[in-house]
This record gives sequence, C-alpha cells and structure tokens, in this order.
Amino acid sequence: MFINGMGIVFAGGSGIEKFEGALAGPWVAPNSHNEAGLPSYQADLAGAGRQDLLKKIRRADKMSKMAVVAAADAAEDAGLENLAAHRVGVILSTAHGPHVTTFKFLDGIYDYGEEEVSPITFSNSVHNSTCSYIAQTMDIQGPTLTVTQFFHSFYNALSLASLWLADDRVDYALVGGVEQYGDVLSWIVDQKLTTAKDGMIKPFNLTPTPQVPGEGAAFFLVSKTAMGKAYCQVDDIFLGWDADRAIKADIRVIDSDGMAPDESAYLACGSSGVPMAAYSPLFGSMMSGSAFNMAAAALTLKHQRVYPNPVADNPHNLPLLPKDFGVDINRMSCLRFDCRGEAMGAHLSRA
Amino acid sequence: MPENSDRELAEIRRKIKEILVEGLSLEHWTPEEIKDDEILFGQGLDLDSLDAAEIAVLIQRNFNFIVGDPEQTREAFYSISTLAEYIYQNTQGQD
Amino acid sequence: MKYEPVVISGMGVISATGGDLAESLSSLEKGQRNFLPKATLFPTSLDFPVFQASSLPDRYHLEGRRSISLALCAVDEALAEAGLANGLDGARVGVCLGTTVSSQLNDQKFYFTLRQEGAAPLEPVDRYVKMELSSYIKEKIGARGPALTVVNACSSGSDALGVALSWLRHGVCDIVVAGGADELSHIPLCGFVSLGIVSPSPCAPFDKNRKGLNLGEGAGVLVLESQSSAKKRGAPSRLRLLGYGSCADAYHLTAPRPDGAGLITAIHRAMMEAGISPEQIGFINAHGTATPDNDKVEGKVFQQLFGEKILTHSTKGYTGHTLGAAGGIEAVFAAAFLREGWMPGSAGFETYDEEVGLAPVGRKTVSDATHALSTSLAFGGNNAALIMGIE
Repeated sequence: MFINGMGIVFAGGSGIEKFEGALAGPWVAPNSHNEAGLPSYQADLAGAGRQDLLKKIRRADKMSKMAVVAAADAAEDAGLENLAAHRVGVILSTAHGPHVTTFKFLDGIYDYGEEEVSPITFSNSVHNSTCSYIAQTMDIQGPTLTVTQFFHSFYNALSLASLWLADDRVDYALVGGVEQYGDVLSWIVDQKLTTAKDGMIKPFNLTPTPQVPGEGAAFFLVSKTAMGKAYCQVDDIFLGWDADRAIKADIRVIDSDGMAPDESAYLACGSSGVPMAAYSPLFGSMMSGSAFNMAAAALTLKHQRVYPNPVADNPHNLPLLPKDFGVDINRMSCLRFDCRGEAMGAHLSRA
Repeated sequence: MPENSDRELAEIRRKIKEILVEGLSLEHWTPEEIKDDEILFGQGLDLDSLDAAEIAVLIQRNFNFIVGDPEQTREAFYSISTLAEYIYQNTQGQD
Repeated sequence: MKYEPVVISGMGVISATGGDLAESLSSLEKGQRNFLPKATLFPTSLDFPVFQASSLPDRYHLEGRRSISLALCAVDEALAEAGLANGLDGARVGVCLGTTVSSQLNDQKFYFTLRQEGAAPLEPVDRYVKMELSSYIKEKIGARGPALTVVNACSSGSDALGVALSWLRHGVCDIVVAGGADELSHIPLCGFVSLGIVSPSPCAPFDKNRKGLNLGEGAGVLVLESQSSAKKRGAPSRLRLLGYGSCADAYHLTAPRPDGAGLITAIHRAMMEAGISPEQIGFINAHGTATPDNDKVEGKVFQQLFGEKILTHSTKGYTGHTLGAAGGIEAVFAAAFLREGWMPGSAGFETYDEEVGLAPVGRKTVSDATHALSTSLAFGGNNAALIMGIE
C-alpha cells in the first residue's frame, strides 16, 4: 500500500506545505488559551483552501469541516480527480468524535427542553456525519466507515484501508484521523492528566508527558500501487510491539503526547539505539495524533530530509533524532502505545 | 387594524430572516439580502428537508407555538412571506 | 477473487424480543410485540412507544454503561454456542462491534453539573474511557487480537461484521466476535423526535400509513471464524457469513438517495462476494425502519433486483430501531431463520403501499431458503448489505 497524497488541517494552517513548514521550523507556542487559562492548539479554517467545498456544507460542525478540507486536499495532492468515476472508500478515525456538537445538543435539552432540540445539531452529533459530508462534497460513491478505539483509532483505520485494497473493495482509500478541541474535554484532560502549563508538550519526558489539547484532521490517499508523487510505502501495520523483535528502522516516530497518564512504555523504544522523533508539540495532544506523526514520517521518506524534534528535552537519555542525518532514510517505524501498554503502529519505507 | 397587521407581519418577516440565517447557518446570506417573497425550498434559499425540521423547532422556540402536521404546513413553508403569515395567524392572541 | 467462506459458529442476541435467541425466536414466532407506551429507562415527557430489553439479567448491570451490559450478555451467549465459554483456547480473537450511543461522552448529569458549577465528579468520564465498547469486551473475554468499534450510525452493526470478514480473510485473527450493541438513550430519542421521524404508535414497516420508527435497544453478536479454524476446533455450525457490501449515497445527511443507487451497489458487492445470483436469495431481512423514506427506497430496490415476490420482512416491528445494534441483531435473526426454516410475519404491516412496491410477509412463513440478505441504511447515507448462507 502506498501513500499517494496527504491533506492536513492543524493549528499551523491547512495544507501539506504549511505542515512541512511547521516541521522544518521551530516550536511554536499554543495559539489559544481558554477562560481557565488552559492552552490548546486550535485549527483555523478561515485560510483553508477548498472554500468551495465548505460552502456546500454550511450546516457542518468544525470537526466535519476540518475533515472535508483534509480529505479533499489529500485527493488533490495525489492528483486524483473526479472521484465519482473511481472506486474510492473513506475510513475516518476519531477518538472522541463530535463531542462538541454532542454537548451543544445537550445544551438544547437543557435550555429548551426535550421537545425543542435542534435536529441539525442532532444530525451533526452522529459520528459518521463527517464521512457523510466527505462523501457528499467529493461525490464519493463507495464504502464509508467511521471507527473509534481511543489510542489506536487511526492505525486500525489504516489497517482496514489496506484490507479494503487487498479485498479489491476499492481502488483508492481516503483514510484519516480527526479530533476537535472543546472546553469540556480540555477541562477533563486537565483533571485527569498533566497539562503543560507553559504550553510545551515534552514528548520524551514520558513519566508523565505534559499535554496540550490539539485539533485537526490528517488524511491520506492510499492505493495498492504508487501514483505519480507517492510519499512512501506502508509495509505493514502491527499490533503489539517489543524492542527485541522490532524491525530495524532508520528513524522511529513515537506518538507520545501526554494523552495517557504514564507513557513510560515508549522508553523501550530507545534501547535499540534507533533515533527517535516525536512531533506532537507542533499540533497538540490528540489520540488520533498518530495520523499527523505518520504524515511527518511520510514527508521524511519522500524528501529524504530529517525534521528535528521540535522539543528535545531528554531526561531519559533516549537516542533522539540528530539534526544531521548523514545516510539515506529507507525505513521508518511509527507507533503509539495505549494506556494498557499495548502498541499499534506502521512500518513505512521509501516508495 | 390592517395597518397594525402589516407592521406586525413586517416585523415577523424581519425576525424570521435573522432566525433562519443564524439557525440554518446561511453563511452566504445576510438577513437584509433576503427578499420578503424569497422562496425557501428548491430555489431561493435552496433549503431542504433537514432545514424544514429545524425551522419547525426555531418557530417553536421563538414564537411559542407548535408547528402542526407537515402536510398542512407545506404551503406555509413556501416563502418568507407565507411563513410570516402562518406565524402571524398562530400567534394572534398571544401576549 | 475467491473468498473463503466464514463460519458463524455462535450467535447471541438480546432485545425487546427476549434475553437470548431461543426466547427471541419464541416471541417472533408468536408475533408478540413487546413495546412500552413510553420509555421507562429515563424520565421523559416524550410519549412515543419504545422497545426496551427488559430481560437483561441483573448480573450484567454496569452503572451508566447499559450498551456494554447488553453487549456482554449477547457475547456470552454467542461464545457459549461457539464452544468458547471456558476460554479462547489460545486462538487469536478480535472484537469488532458497532454502536452509536456508547461511543459518546453524553452523560447528562455530568454535563449539566459541569455546565452549572464549573466542575463535576469524573466517574462518568472514567466509565466512558475504561469501557470503550470493543476494547472492554476484548479485555473481558481475554482476547488477544485487534479491537475496533464501528460508529457508522444505523449500519454500524452490519459494517462491524464486514470488518470481521476482512480480518478473517486476511488472517488478522482466527476468530472474531462481531456485531452491535446500543442502549435506549434519551439523547437519540430527543433527536429523532426533533427530526419528525418517530412514530406515535407502534411502527408499521412497509405499510402505506407508516408514521416513522420506534426506538429500541439490544445487542446482536456473532462468533465468526474461518472454515479451517472451525474444523480444527470441531465447531459444527452450518451457517456462513458469505458476503458484505457497503456504499455511500453521497447525497444527504439525513435522507436516503431516492434511486437507492448506493444500496444497490452494496447488495451487488455482497452477492459478488458470496458468489451467488439474485435468484438464490431466499428472503430479505430489510432495514425496514418504517420511516416513509427508508421503506420506499428499500421497496423500490428489492423489487428492482429481486422482483416483487421476494419474501421480505422487517424485524423492527418487534425490536424497534436499535441503531448501532440493528445490523448485529438482524444478522443473528436472518441466520437463525435460515436454520429454523421459517421467518416471522413483518409486524405492523396492513396496507400495501404502491410507492414501496412490495408487501412484506404477513405472518410466520416457512421457507427452505439457503441464502438470506440483510440490509442496513444509515443516517449519513451509508448502505450496508450482508449475505448469510446455510449448508
């Protein structure tokens, strides 16, 4: 399976160029603080391309809008046009789904009573409304699926995309992750986890990693064969990981971002000496942040360019990715541990 | 008195336009751009069945009466003007 | 492409029809409709009939996580039939369940307290995080394979079974526990009422005077495995899950595509995977929610693909619309009807509707069908089709 196109909406803007710019640049502080002073990385859709598509979905919530822009960008990036003429499927992963809209619906019950709630808000609070908007705006008449599994939401979706391709169910799949920022969730994670009061996620602190809620969508257009400007190949998607049996990779991208109270499982990744990278400080803490880290790995392979760790605090002396990486980068490994210490991830190689 | 009712109808139309722009996220309209006889469905504002369900709730919330059977309200939901008349008739006698 | 048949080695179901498959079949056979005039699981002023799973045993009770309780109940029954009640025997087992309600952090007491007071006790959040549907079932039964929850609205259960087929065909795991589970919740009740598609009387799928759906709850779970795995374990089932198809309408957030193009594509794909032609479909367990739009589209499509004589029924008249559980419950029912050799009358139907173009079976009907189709049409426009067979 090849990654042929990518689309990203995050706090730094929308589009692969913006994401690449963020990877190449210095760490940037969170762009938002709520009334309680809690930091967050929030996406701004005002400057996003594809306003034509957004115009078609006036009723959609921000979660759907971010995903529509990212999915459309991924298809365009791959050079795939007229999607109705192809067999395209969509698999969307999200840990928390449209929680902001769900709370808005609950506000309706509270403020107006159960007989005066908004049908539009209810419709948007259903998990797969986002896939519906993607299919509608891009005229995708193929299978659409929304999945969730907290930490492993994205890699499960990616795995399923590879099976859909192998099954000949589709010729192309748009697979992605999306999370929306909300004050309620921000309050909850501040209660349950360690918030980075200075706004800086330190992904190698691990015990714990301080978190800053993020927001955004990352989509990939994948297919069995490489298209014109393929980023990389996805060799396999694995469930369960141990340092001894791990495939030798040139660089390992870890998804540590403070979304689990204890991320010390990642310490084992350092034992093999494989240089480690983590990009969560650029887009924020999100359970489907795996999609953003994998996008960084795909860019690394395609451009043969290392993106140094945006935050390199290293209290455990892990082998961090050096700024100068003299050799070819042929294989990358991306992984995320869940709060039970089980890993899921993907191995990528040069296209 | 007819003059009074004309004034009230105009006020209802103005209010509906504001409510619809906000409640239906009509991002590319301002209330002022919407004509009094603007058609709601299929053309004009180009609304659909989900908007219709929302309009029923918006009327309930803002004008304090329950919108009846969709069959009976079909004509009322034709344009801004017909909707205003429908609301006017159903709010007569309210404070 | 050749697809290895997947064996259904165990089934479990709970809904208003009963707490297990035997009890459910007994009330379906009698045409018994166990609805309540209004919901009793939560306080509400909404007077609409609902179908509650009143026979959920107390031992499954989990505070604030009724969907998980329902799932556990059905999972236990399915594992017992599959001969896996006492452990999974070293097999690599995956869990893939569909839901709508349990995937959302929607505890009203928590949210309203937080909204008013700026803080709230976090137990509901802990429950939501610790009891993620598929992960929790995986942990509970000691499975070592993947866990994934499908949140595809009303086709979630069918789509979860489709994911299971993919996993088994590609050796991701040996056995999959798959289906759907959803509790009757105040939130979708308010939502569906606001959309104007809830019937004030017991629902009447495919009837000319149908007024909409009734909400229900339950869980339907299948234990699926490759033929080689079933053989190795000596699991004797004759039932097979043969094909799955899914296709989006790309049309509207809440209304189905009037020409049913997405549903047709999904059914074609499922038949292709099953390697069968339309004449081989013995009966259809339709989505049949009893909303005006849904039944019209399904009727049209079935008539077009299978002719108006095709034996069709909806079990929603007995279970209500169980949302994310529906695909799982109806797959269990359709497979059970193949095994039993009969299907129930489609409850609520009285008057033929020309716009639907077919009449569902009116009373319990004997059938020697070898293949059954089950369909699901989701909010958001996804269509799913499953084909079950018996050897």
